[in-house]
Amino acid sequence: MQQNPHTPDPFTLGGRTFTSRLMTGTGKFTDFGVMREALAASGSQIVTVAIRRVELRAPGHDGLLDALDWDALQLLPNTAGCRTADEALRVARLARVATGVNWIKLEVIPDARYLLPDPVGTLRAAEALAEDGFTVLPYVQADAVLARALEDAGCAAVMPLASPIGSGRGLRSPELLRTVLDGARVPIVVDAGLGVPSDAAQALELGADAVLVNTAIAEARDPVGMAHAFALGVQAGRAAFLAGRMPERAHASPSSPTGGVVRLPDPEVPV
Amino acid sequence: MTGPAILTVNGEARPLTPGLTLPALLRDLNIDPARVAVAVNDDFYPGARVPERTLEAGDVIEIVRIIGGG
Repeated sequence: MQQNPHTPDPFTLGGRTFTSRLMTGTGKFTDFGVMREALAASGSQIVTVAIRRVELRAPGHDGLLDALDWDALQLLPNTAGCRTADEALRVARLARVATGVNWIKLEVIPDARYLLPDPVGTLRAAEALAEDGFTVLPYVQADAVLARALEDAGCAAVMPLASPIGSGRGLRSPELLRTVLDGARVPIVVDAGLGVPSDAAQALELGADAVLVNTAIAEARDPVGMAHAFALGVQAGRAAFLAGRMPERAHASPSSPTGGVVRLPDPEVPV
Repeated sequence: MTGPAILTVNGEARPLTPGLTLPALLRDLNIDPARVAVAVNDDFYPGARVPERTLEAGDVIEIVRIIGGG
């Protein structure tokens, strides 16, 4: 099938249709003006936010809510910081009443050093949240067996990590990601660790439905420029996936015809 | 034996004035209800619609807001 790269190529997640396959996080930006411009440059339609305790000694708000266009964006609150399934359930329910949105990016992360997710706690929390009517997007290692179990639990998507959160090291386990993508019944969104647009392109080339990027945009020298660059990377990767890559070969294959080449007498070959 | 009545608010113990309601607690803390969400034990409320609920000794309360994050 021929696909014009400019043809809208929407995907459906949680019953809604999106044309942008780049989701963006709202953490780590130096100010909300830059964040808002970067979100616009990214074209993202889904943006993540976090839930934190109000400082009792200095309540007040930090302005994030005013900086986001709630009508145009699908908010995706996360459970970042939660160490157990029970903490994540509580934060998810607080997020639902805080935002009026029943989407939740589920993170259950007991390990502060590598921020690697707990597969057992994540599955347990995902089951409870799906049962409770949430649109659940769990953050997990690229584990196909776990991904299928999360689909069975009613998750709307599965979010395998590329490399540790905030590390910018790119897709370190593409072969494992392939196994998650093979036979997936929900959108697969590669989350965490993407450092540059080519990382995002690689994920989309392999068949991921979307990516989520935060640190690589927020910590770029020019976050707005990098947001735009990631949007292009995602578009390139998706277009390449649809176009179908060439087979890999062990040996060279000439690009120019092998016949009719201008020849001088064969060089003497030493015996 | 009974000690002084306390609440736990965002992880901190806090003396409970008899008859204190949830909206009154938010006022005491100088929190704009429109910007927060509240849990009292396992009940969850948007800040703008917290009920006139009288708080009881031992209640565990969370008051949260939305911030930037990935």
